[in-house]
Amino acid sequence: MAQVLVVDDSSTVRNEVSEFLKSNGLTVSVAVDGRDGLAKLKSDAAIRLVVSDVNMPNMDGLTMAEKIRGELNNAAVNIIMLTTENSPAMKERGKAAGIKGWIVKPFNGPAVLATFKKLLA
Amino acid sequence: MSIGQRIALLVVLAFLAIATLGGVAWYQFRLNAADVRIVTEGVVPSALASADLVARLKDVQLVTQTLVYAPDENETLQARNRLAAQQERLRESLELQLAGANSQTQQGLAAQAKETLGNYFHAIDETVQLKLAGQQEVAIAALFASVAQYQGELEQIIDTLRVEKNRTKDSAIAALKASMSKTLTIILLVTALAISLLALFGAVLYRQITHPVRDMQQMMSDIAGSQDFSRRVPVRRDDEIGRSIRAFNVMIGKIEESSALLRQKTNDIEAMLLNMPQGVLTVEPDKRVHPEYSAYLATILETEHIAGRNFIELVFAGSNLGADELAQIEAMADSCIGEDQMNFDFNAHLLVDEIQKTMPGGRVKILELNWSPIGDGAGNTARLMLCVRDVTELRKLAAEASEQRQELEMIGQILAVNQDKFHEFIVSAIKFIDESEILIRSHPLPDAGALVELFRNMHTIKGNARTYGLTRLTSIVHAAEQTYEELRKSRPGLVWDQQQLLGELAAVRAAVENYARINEVLLGRKGPGRQGSVERYLLVDKNQIRATLQQLESVNPNSLHELVAARDAVRHTLRLLGTESMEEILGSVIEGLPALAAELNKDAPQLKIRDNGYVLHAQAGGMLRNVFMHLIRNAVDHGIEPAAERLACGKRSAGEIRLDVEVSDEQLRLTLGDDGRGLALVRIREIAVRKGLIAPDARLDDAELAQLIFCPGFSTASKITEVSGRGVGMDAVQEFVQREGGHIRIVFTDQSEGAAFRPFAMQITLPAMLAEQLEGLALAPAMLAGDAPPPAPAVPLPVPGQAVPDRAPQAPIESSSEQGFKA
Repeated sequence: MAQVLVVDDSSTVRNEVSEFLKSNGLTVSVAVDGRDGLAKLKSDAAIRLVVSDVNMPNMDGLTMAEKIRGELNNAAVNIIMLTTENSPAMKERGKAAGIKGWIVKPFNGPAVLATFKKLLA
Repeated sequence: MSIGQRIALLVVLAFLAIATLGGVAWYQFRLNAADVRIVTEGVVPSALASADLVARLKDVQLVTQTLVYAPDENETLQARNRLAAQQERLRESLELQLAGANSQTQQGLAAQAKETLGNYFHAIDETVQLKLAGQQEVAIAALFASVAQYQGELEQIIDTLRVEKNRTKDSAIAALKASMSKTLTIILLVTALAISLLALFGAVLYRQITHPVRDMQQMMSDIAGSQDFSRRVPVRRDDEIGRSIRAFNVMIGKIEESSALLRQKTNDIEAMLLNMPQGVLTVEPDKRVHPEYSAYLATILETEHIAGRNFIELVFAGSNLGADELAQIEAMADSCIGEDQMNFDFNAHLLVDEIQKTMPGGRVKILELNWSPIGDGAGNTARLMLCVRDVTELRKLAAEASEQRQELEMIGQILAVNQDKFHEFIVSAIKFIDESEILIRSHPLPDAGALVELFRNMHTIKGNARTYGLTRLTSIVHAAEQTYEELRKSRPGLVWDQQQLLGELAAVRAAVENYARINEVLLGRKGPGRQGSVERYLLVDKNQIRATLQQLESVNPNSLHELVAARDAVRHTLRLLGTESMEEILGSVIEGLPALAAELNKDAPQLKIRDNGYVLHAQAGGMLRNVFMHLIRNAVDHGIEPAAERLACGKRSAGEIRLDVEVSDEQLRLTLGDDGRGLALVRIREIAVRKGLIAPDARLDDAELAQLIFCPGFSTASKITEVSGRGVGMDAVQEFVQREGGHIRIVFTDQSEGAAFRPFAMQITLPAMLAEQLEGLALAPAMLAGDAPPPAPAVPLPVPGQAVPDRAPQAPIESSSEQGFKA
């Protein structure tokens, strides 16, 4: 049972983000790529927010988002991408997959936390 | 009539038409129904019955023959019974015909038939009686005679009746047909009439409804097309259309109001964008700059090519940001424009708020950037707004202010130290630094003994600096001392690096020399204290320095105005350090005046100095003392007459010498005049001719003549007096002045060209930087009194194209040289 699912193939980012969220009172589950993320989301109905990297092996973040909306038919979970760059094409795809936000690394803790708490409220 | 009523009317009319049509049809069919009944129930059955009559007659005839020819009695009796029945049926049929006769002819025929039927039956009876009587032959004869006769008659009558009946039937059917076709005609006519009437009414009502609607639509289209919202659709009626038009007009009125408001706002925004002294632009989803941006942006970025350009390239080209930082800004823009507003919050920290941008001319500008999202009203960021402020000047001023602050602090520290002791400190510090330098240079490799000595040297300097509170020095010396200490302890990773050590030492030297420079240049305290004159240099009030420092502390680093004011105030305070009033500079000359006058047998003249609030830098003091000593001695010697001569001319016995100090056109002007006899032009000419400076017949005007006194070796005194002739002539005076970048000239104060004596003044002009106005920026008095600093005045927003005033207006100078900085 976790509120937030952090998906990133980099263990550094994964740990940093999840530790930060945990230290601020959120319950966090982690996944190493999009495929893992889908499985975790399927098995834990409590997840209300997915924070995901874009470029990952096996399944990238955008594909995962599309599958969450499509295969899992889960329109309720908030998806936020954590990325280093962005482009109109990615944004287009993201919009279609119902991605709520884009956080450009490095992320700013307080601003991110405030919005996350709002999304989870 | 409203449209609803019109449509209702049309419906009612249609209903009426249909009802009328129905009524007419019903009435007509009622009429036809009677005819049909006559035909179907009367004429046709009756005609059919008349045909039966013939058949029945034949039956009777047949039975009669059967009876007559019957072979036996039995058959005869049977035939007789059958005959009676047949006779009855025939009679009934005829009765029926008689009853159904509907014309005179038919009745007549029926009656005739009935009569003939009686005769026929009577003849049959007689024949039957004959048969029954056994007289068969007679009976047969009778059968062919009377019976056949009556039968023939009856047949004829019935035939005629049948024909008559058929004729009646045919005419009735024909009448019915006629009637039916009349009915059809009437119904068709009524229908045509109804349709025509409905069409007519419909057309009228249609026109009444559609024409105004079309007019309205036309007018509305016109208004919408022309965007001329001052027009109104005329209201000519009070129905639904009229009300629609009224509502439309009200709406147009509201649109007119809001479009006026919009226009006003657009104008306001345009005016703001045109006149605001800030660069404002907005970034569109494709990262291009929106065509509407503030005009001042072009001034800041020094380009007119702004609209539609990629904002990264426009703002950050030539900036101090690296590719990675730019990529982050770009990603940030991509992540938040057109997205939920939270994305701006997530990523706002990636947007830099200050950059250094190298402009095309090579000048570096410091730009302050302020980012904000522009929402689309639905929680998304439609565009990014960027405010660009050129803070180059501000940062420069802040740096200057901080530098001046340091200097002021140092001045305060220096002033707290006795001059001799300070001098000693500087001399000893320089000595230690020199020694240390030799030590470092002579030891390319670490040496424990040298390190001990180096450490001791720095430690001594630091200790002394601390004792005297020279805090700007202590930390720098401490750093060097620490290095030696750590080298001595052989801290790992630290090696004896000659160059580095020399660099460190150079920093210490620079700091010491900076203190020395301030002491000498700003405070004019060169060397050890000199008795008597030294105190004159210590004119700086410590409170003044403290107050100025306070002002620097309280200044808002983001206010150009405050920074300028503070900088100017501090600069002024600094400039006043080491200045003297004219009176102070000429102190020794003034003191010597009575003795000089006495020596020349003249009453001691009065020296009136009007300094207009200007004080002069000490560096010019020596030169001015020399120059004015000579000029004033000349004035007393040559210009001012002996008392008796003066009294004879109506002057006061004691002469008057005036010295005016003024600054104008970036020049310091010192004008010395006296009320003596004036310049002896005739004598000057004689001397010049005698000394071979000019030819005896040279034609020179007064100004050219006066100029001759500056020639080397020229002396106007008829004998070398004790006073003037000390080997320093006007040529030397001129040289003194020129050495300070100035010049000296003679100005006549009258118009009498060619006179033997002409009143004049000596005018010395020098660079204005030698003078300071004593009462410049009025900061000190309030601060000294311990009051809170005056509230900063509202900064007027500069308008593009109009320079920002770089200093506060100065108060008119009224005060005398006595105020402020005198001990």
